[in-house]
Amino acid sequence: MISTILNITIQAAFAIHALLIGYAIYRVWRGKDTIGRLLGVELVGTLTIAVLVLLALVQQNRLFIDVALGLGALGFISVIGFAKYTADQPQIAEHQFAEHQLIEQGGD
Amino acid sequence: MATIFELLAIIIIIIATGFSIIGVIGFHRLPDVYSQLHATGKVGILGVVLLAIATAFVFPTEWGRVIILILLLLIGGPVAAHALASAAHRTGVPMQGAVRNDLDTQYRS
Repeated sequence: MISTILNITIQAAFAIHALLIGYAIYRVWRGKDTIGRLLGVELVGTLTIAVLVLLALVQQNRLFIDVALGLGALGFISVIGFAKYTADQPQIAEHQFAEHQLIEQGGD
Repeated sequence: MATIFELLAIIIIIIATGFSIIGVIGFHRLPDVYSQLHATGKVGILGVVLLAIATAFVFPTEWGRVIILILLLLIGGPVAAHALASAAHRTGVPMQGAVRNDLDTQYRS
């Protein structure tokens, strides 16, 4: 009885997290500026760890926790690296941001 | 005993999913990068950590790896958020509706 409710809860949480990953990928695709897109990348990584942990519950397989550990370490290093690269070369972000401001002024 | 643990796992999974939804709603609605970072930090700390605890309740032999995952998230999440906020400030992303900005002319590259 209670394991049936547990299964339904796990699958509902799995579906909700998959939808949230879809929205985060949309924000990476149509972001306002470079740092906003990078924030979307970090959110995709974090939600993918959540999906892997839920997948360990769905499949009754403990190996997915190890996969989540590896993905957590790699996502952390990649976000640090991209943030330092963007901060060291501000012309990338400024160009993107100036374009965004131009579009806003044209809209007014 | 296993029934109690499964009941705890159900409650914790529901709370964690709620925190993830709240974090993504904040990421959608908050105006600038600095406040969006505040919202997405909730997904990493509360959402995933609570899901990992629920997994450890279902698989009681996995507490070791789950604790390592929780430590990785608790250390890595704030560091990544701080790096993103520092990059946003150094590239000159403006704040929306800020009353006062003490770091306005400092640390620009």
